[in-house]
Amino acid sequence: MAISVDPPGVSRELAQKVGFTFPLLCDPEAEVVHRYHLGHPGGGPEGREIARPAEFLIDSSGTVRWVNFTEDIRVRARAQEMVAAANTLK
Amino acid sequence: MWLGFILLALAMTSIYLFFVSTPLQAVLPWLSPLLAIASLAIILIGLRRAQTQPVTYGGKAAGWTLTVLSSLVLLFGILFFFVSRHIPAAGSAPQVGQKAPDFTLPDSNGHSVSLAQLVSGADQRARPKAVLVVFYRGYW
Repeated sequence: MAISVDPPGVSRELAQKVGFTFPLLCDPEAEVVHRYHLGHPGGGPEGREIARPAEFLIDSSGTVRWVNFTEDIRVRARAQEMVAAANTLK
Repeated sequence: MWLGFILLALAMTSIYLFFVSTPLQAVLPWLSPLLAIASLAIILIGLRRAQTQPVTYGGKAAGWTLTVLSSLVLLFGILFFFVSRHIPAAGSAPQVGQKAPDFTLPDSNGHSVSLAQLVSGADQRARPKAVLVVFYRGYW
């Protein structure tokens, strides 16, 4: 599942265009972004707040089992890495 | 001189390679500055030659034009490099072993989705092994 500060309309268009099959959640007020301490104030257009990129693998008990916090917005977790992390879980 | 300019162009192109998922992705941010430094050195050599032997090396004016042009491209590249690394630290974000804070948010169709509901597999047949939560910058 993915989270961004984009409103539902924008996310729906994106999901259709790219063919995402996972839920794309909308957090326009960056509430959940704050709850996860991932705010990037002024990172968006016109100084709006966005999320710094981050990936979490959360198991069925709600515990974080794997994380990735990039230092460079151009470098993100690769699909293979995330699948490998998921495969280590029982 | 031209070689330096081509190398600089290559350095700038390597910036955009990030959108292609390659295994070398993590090394690429450092490849562009390396190429840029190499191209800068070649351009400066070229400029010197154009000033001392203008007939062989295409003239003094051409040398300066190419140098100024390259400097502008280089400046843009340096700016891009620092901007893409200028992101807040994630020190206080949930770490491995900690509970992930629950949340409920609307999906792209306006339906409420909660983390608790996803990890328990409430809306699926089988309970999932895990749920991957990805935070995007947005503004596509």
